[in-house]
Amino acid sequence: MFTLNVNGQSHDVDVPPDMPLLWVLRDVVGLTGTKFGCGVAQCGACTVHVAGQAMRSCVLPVSALGSRPVTTVEAVGQTPAGQKVQQAWLEIEVVQCGYCQSGQVMSAAALLTHTPDPTDADIDAAMSGNICRCGTYARIREAIKLAATGRTTAMPTVPIAAPAGPGAQS
Amino acid sequence: MKTRPTLRIALLGAVTLGVSTLALHETSILRASAHAQDAAPAPSQSVQPASAAQASPLVQRGEYLARAADCVACHTAPGGKAYAGGLPFKLPFGTMYATNITADRETGIGSWSDDDFVNAVRKGVGKGGKHLYPSMPYTSYTAMSRDDALAIKAYLFSLPAVRQPNRANHLAFPFNQRWSMWFWNLVFLKDRRFQPDPALSAEENRGAYLATALGHCGECHTPRNLAFAMKANRQFAGAELQGWRAWNITPDKRFGVGGWSDAQLADYLAAGHANGRGSAAGPMGEAVENSLQYLTPQDTAALVAYLRKIPAQPGEAGTEVDLQPAPVLASSAWAPGAGDTGGALGKHIFEGACASCHQWNGQGQQTPYAALLGSQAVNDPTGLNVVQVMLHGAHMRVRGQTVFMPVFGRGYSDGELAAVANYVVSHFGGKPGRVTPEAVAKARTAG
Repeated sequence: MFTLNVNGQSHDVDVPPDMPLLWVLRDVVGLTGTKFGCGVAQCGACTVHVAGQAMRSCVLPVSALGSRPVTTVEAVGQTPAGQKVQQAWLEIEVVQCGYCQSGQVMSAAALLTHTPDPTDADIDAAMSGNICRCGTYARIREAIKLAATGRTTAMPTVPIAAPAGPGAQS
Repeated sequence: MKTRPTLRIALLGAVTLGVSTLALHETSILRASAHAQDAAPAPSQSVQPASAAQASPLVQRGEYLARAADCVACHTAPGGKAYAGGLPFKLPFGTMYATNITADRETGIGSWSDDDFVNAVRKGVGKGGKHLYPSMPYTSYTAMSRDDALAIKAYLFSLPAVRQPNRANHLAFPFNQRWSMWFWNLVFLKDRRFQPDPALSAEENRGAYLATALGHCGECHTPRNLAFAMKANRQFAGAELQGWRAWNITPDKRFGVGGWSDAQLADYLAAGHANGRGSAAGPMGEAVENSLQYLTPQDTAALVAYLRKIPAQPGEAGTEVDLQPAPVLASSAWAPGAGDTGGALGKHIFEGACASCHQWNGQGQQTPYAALLGSQAVNDPTGLNVVQVMLHGAHMRVRGQTVFMPVFGRGYSDGELAAVANYVVSHFGGKPGRVTPEAVAKARTAG
């Protein structure tokens, strides 16, 4: 029996000590916002905060948690960084299919908590472990910058070559 | 000193044949390890002879000793029945198979007398005078007491007999000539029981017995001579086997474990991880899983006490463990320092595939086993073990938990893995790595 502090609430769970936190959250506590992707800490979809740190819950045995508090995507909006990230995500319309996004939001919120004004290199270091198969990376980067600074910057775009010759101007 | 002619001839023969058998031995140890890795239900699950309450004290003692001697690692095939043999040892000149040591009378050792068993374990001569190959570590087991050998036999005979015929070895000439082991043994087998060293305490002598007669640590950790016998004057100085490096475990402060605390050594042996010193993987991970984790705290402490007493051995300059490498000091858990240089490709892959567990400051998260700072592997410029772990992953069942790292060998090219290994050595070891794509390609086939 373990007593978990998840999103400020206490949960007593009767699970094997080596059950990954992800399954405790999804199947026992009933918080399904955190997603299963790869199961081996290679995609980031299962990211939660443990004592403020972004962690891959799919490889974190519940017994390793101790008394550290857990925050999931369901409650990250109640933290200052999480709130900014979610607002920026809406404004930039980052999400495409959405499956990876709870992990992306959690990694981004953790980044802004310890690095309020991240450089591109900081964003690479913090976000490279979160994979998005829709390829929303450019919008993720933009939304993190918006959340950090309150300003939008020009997003990188692929120039489309206009057909040359007469009539192109008309 | 002059050698007597008869001995010289014997020596010549032994060296000639010994050189052939040496490769045999080397390959076999690590083959066995590599196979045992994805195999073998842990003895605790698969080999419950009788409940502890039913087993006689002799059988219980034998079970403990069989674990301390790690018999199961080689005598069990992947997915096979415990101690029924069949583990292949694939060698350049053929394949050998570990034998069935269950009590089946026809296919195992059920018809062996006590003397047959003791001779096999301590002299490398099986029932009927058949010479064993030294892939069976009888040059270490030779120090075992008769009582202990017979306790192991009693334990093996308490288990269900498994009818599983031994597979015939397929060895090319001259490796198929078992009699040649007679020469090798003449020179390299010191047929002597363990003698307590009066200069050592009772605890240290117990540790010596555990490390040599039972645990046969030197079979991997002691470098070998041309005929593949262990070099007595370089005991535990470290050696390379089959693509892995077995580290220097002497008390040398710079190259060995002299700087480790008693608690670190004990934790590493008993749980496969020491805070600030990294984690066991590969063959050592198997030794922890199958054998060392079952030692009593007293025996673990005895091993530690003994490791303090063996002569310190120097290592190769440039392989010292750097406990405070500058790139790590400049990093936080979540980001490298601004001036981090270590190769763009390696860093790029590390931040996507590795950092979420290992972290930039080498502390590791999700599990302490992911901590890299202070490990010997990341301080080895050749990156041998770093490459092996990336290629094959890690899997160790210890203390009721599974410690694992995914396999990266199939997802990344030789050049990419070399770049990551060099980045890891430069970042966590504070020294330039020398891993080449060719070395990674070679390591792929070495396991």
